[in-house]
Amino acid sequence: MSVIREVLEELWSMFVGDRRLTLLVLLLVAVSAAVAAFLPKLHVAAAVLILVGAVAILADSVRLAARKARR
Amino acid sequence: MIAWATAAPAVGAAFVASTVEVVEAFTIVLAVATLRGWRPALSGAAAALGALALIVAALGPALNLVPLRALQIVIGVLLLLFGLGWLRKAVLRAAGLMALHDEDAIFEREKSRLGDEVRSARAADGIAALAAFKAVLLEGLEVVFIVLAVGAGHGLMIPASIGALAAFVAVMAAGLLIHKPLARVPENTLKFLVGIMLSAFGVFWTSEGLGAPWPGGDLALFGLAAAFALAALGLVALVRPRSEAAAA
Repeated sequence: MSVIREVLEELWSMFVGDRRLTLLVLLLVAVSAAVAAFLPKLHVAAAVLILVGAVAILADSVRLAARKARR
Repeated sequence: MIAWATAAPAVGAAFVASTVEVVEAFTIVLAVATLRGWRPALSGAAAALGALALIVAALGPALNLVPLRALQIVIGVLLLLFGLGWLRKAVLRAAGLMALHDEDAIFEREKSRLGDEVRSARAADGIAALAAFKAVLLEGLEVVFIVLAVGAGHGLMIPASIGALAAFVAVMAAGLLIHKPLARVPENTLKFLVGIMLSAFGVFWTSEGLGAPWPGGDLALFGLAAAFALAALGLVALVRPRSEAAAA
């Protein structure tokens, strides 16, 4: 049973290891989905929003982790 | 017939990402084999490969029941979570803020851990086989996810599987040849590349799933990867400690 638990824990940490990053990604996808649904003519804007948002989330996550590592 | 421009990113991403995972699994299996012999190491690894085959056989057909756009969104979001997390670690390692992945150290640590756990010769082979089983199952599940992630959203399961299989063959061939942990594989550089590719695929599939496709179709993947590469390299320069940046 401990093998199954370890596998499940590993899978969980693969995707939800960093709660802040996970929540920000879900928020980004929700906002982009709203843009794509309500402004279908501006669908490229939704695509660009996902890219810019993902890069911003990466920068935020790296900044926080770097600050923590320097302490 | 799948176009080269469509298949190449899937083959490349699956190959590089799977190489990283197979190297990690190989290190543990080799540690087990060095300590207890090839029999428990290979039996544990074979049992894990069997379990993986069962998981794929059970879940694979279920994917056909999920509508394509929903599948693209789910896989896209999972790829973003996985890819951004991986890329963050790669940036921190490249900036010297996180210890580099060291296969030699992992090999020695696993050998020492196994040595501590083994109390009797009878139990020893079982514990060793279990260690090999866990390592191959965990890393194998990541390979399965990577193949699904880069292949399932656009009918590219075969190119992605070929990439993963090629990685398995390449690592096994190199490993059997040199019979040592594959410490010279530039694993951290590969992880940097994998983080970039998975994040690019994540943005691509999420956009497609939301009905907001990128202009240029599959070729947009190269542009997305370039954008993540630039951002990640910029972040390395930004967070690298000043004394190190001055020395570099």
